[in-house]
Amino acid sequence: MPLFLKERKSLLVLTALIFFQLILISTQVPLGYGQNYFEKAVFSFFSPIQHGILSLFRSIGNLWKNYFDLQNVQSQNQKMKDEMFFLRQENNLLRNALENLRSQKEIEESLLKLHENILAAQVIGFDASNFYKSATINKGSLDGLKKDMVVLDQNGSLVGRIIDPVALKESRVQLITDNESGVGVFSKKKEVMGILSGDGKGYCFLEYIHVTTEGIYEGEDIITSGKDGLFPSGIKVGKIVSITTGTSLFKQVKVEPYFDIRRLDHVAIIMKDPMEIF
Amino acid sequence: MKDFIKVSLGIIIAFLLYTVLNKISPSLVLLFNVFSLVVIYFAVEKNEIFGACLGAFCGLIQDSFSLGVFGVAGLAKTIAGFTAGYIAKKIDVNPPLRSFVFIFLLISFEFILWALLYSFIFSGSINTGRGLIFFQPLGTALVGSFLFFFLRKFKRSEP
Repeated sequence: MPLFLKERKSLLVLTALIFFQLILISTQVPLGYGQNYFEKAVFSFFSPIQHGILSLFRSIGNLWKNYFDLQNVQSQNQKMKDEMFFLRQENNLLRNALENLRSQKEIEESLLKLHENILAAQVIGFDASNFYKSATINKGSLDGLKKDMVVLDQNGSLVGRIIDPVALKESRVQLITDNESGVGVFSKKKEVMGILSGDGKGYCFLEYIHVTTEGIYEGEDIITSGKDGLFPSGIKVGKIVSITTGTSLFKQVKVEPYFDIRRLDHVAIIMKDPMEIF
Repeated sequence: MKDFIKVSLGIIIAFLLYTVLNKISPSLVLLFNVFSLVVIYFAVEKNEIFGACLGAFCGLIQDSFSLGVFGVAGLAKTIAGFTAGYIAKKIDVNPPLRSFVFIFLLISFEFILWALLYSFIFSGSINTGRGLIFFQPLGTALVGSFLFFFLRKFKRSEP
């Protein structure tokens, strides 16, 4: 084949690839976060590989610990850690539920139901383009997970929610630090309501707080309001770190989330709204 | 068949490294672009068409683990893969120092392309990871030039 045709062939292939990807990009932009089947298929194919790789490394690590560590002490420690994990979740949700002053028996029955509705999972990866946007966990539709289920960290603080794609054994979590996320919240003291949105850099902003609003202070806790219909009320979200007033109608309220992305390993997924249980 | 096995192995190793780095610390993924190394290596070994196709494939894998528009990294890697293959045809990029400069410039080019596409689509700035992402071309080039040097030495020592 003459050289100029060979060069044209490579340019044709490049043009075709670029065109295909531009079409792929342009079909998504007006739809926002609606994943197409191609992306779902790629995620569903590669996420089990990611899951498998980490399981393998964890198994090798555990092999060392189990055979060369003090085996009984190791298993006792693990049992206690597992129990503590669930206890923290129950504790946080229970504090709010007790405000309703239910009877002891009702609370015990509800706690049992609550325990059954919390699923533990592990984080197996973070967003490739910006780790403050999303994470991948090792539970999926086979474990009963669905879109919009709420995800908490090991201390019961809000991490985010499950979004598409949900594969069989893996799913994606949109973090509250993503700039496209939105959580209905209020301040703990005076219950000043607002929408919490991430900045994509590890912090969040409490939006729609009018400049004339009073009763909101630095250092105050922010909790979910439950008004958005997605996140149950009473979940700890973060702490206000700064409040500034500029030229706009609204204050700039910066919130530091309670969950620490550097230590995000185990998470809890709430399968059912605790308010339905209590 | 042999080429297919080599490429598949390269992608699996890159994916393995990406997963492990991500698990150790998400910031490490900003410092080393393992998928781009695979694309550049095979683009240089084969040709620009191979580089473009592999770039599209690896970029889409990266995009599937990213929240947002599917295809941004794919587009950037397609162009980078093609460019790598094209330049490698014109100049010899095998010597270690030249390989280092070549990888550094290509990763920088890919990063700029990706950042521009990202800013254009999302109308916002990228997460720099407190400036760590700006060391990606240097980090990737250092690792890449060593790796390519040993891979080529190993290839030459094969019967």
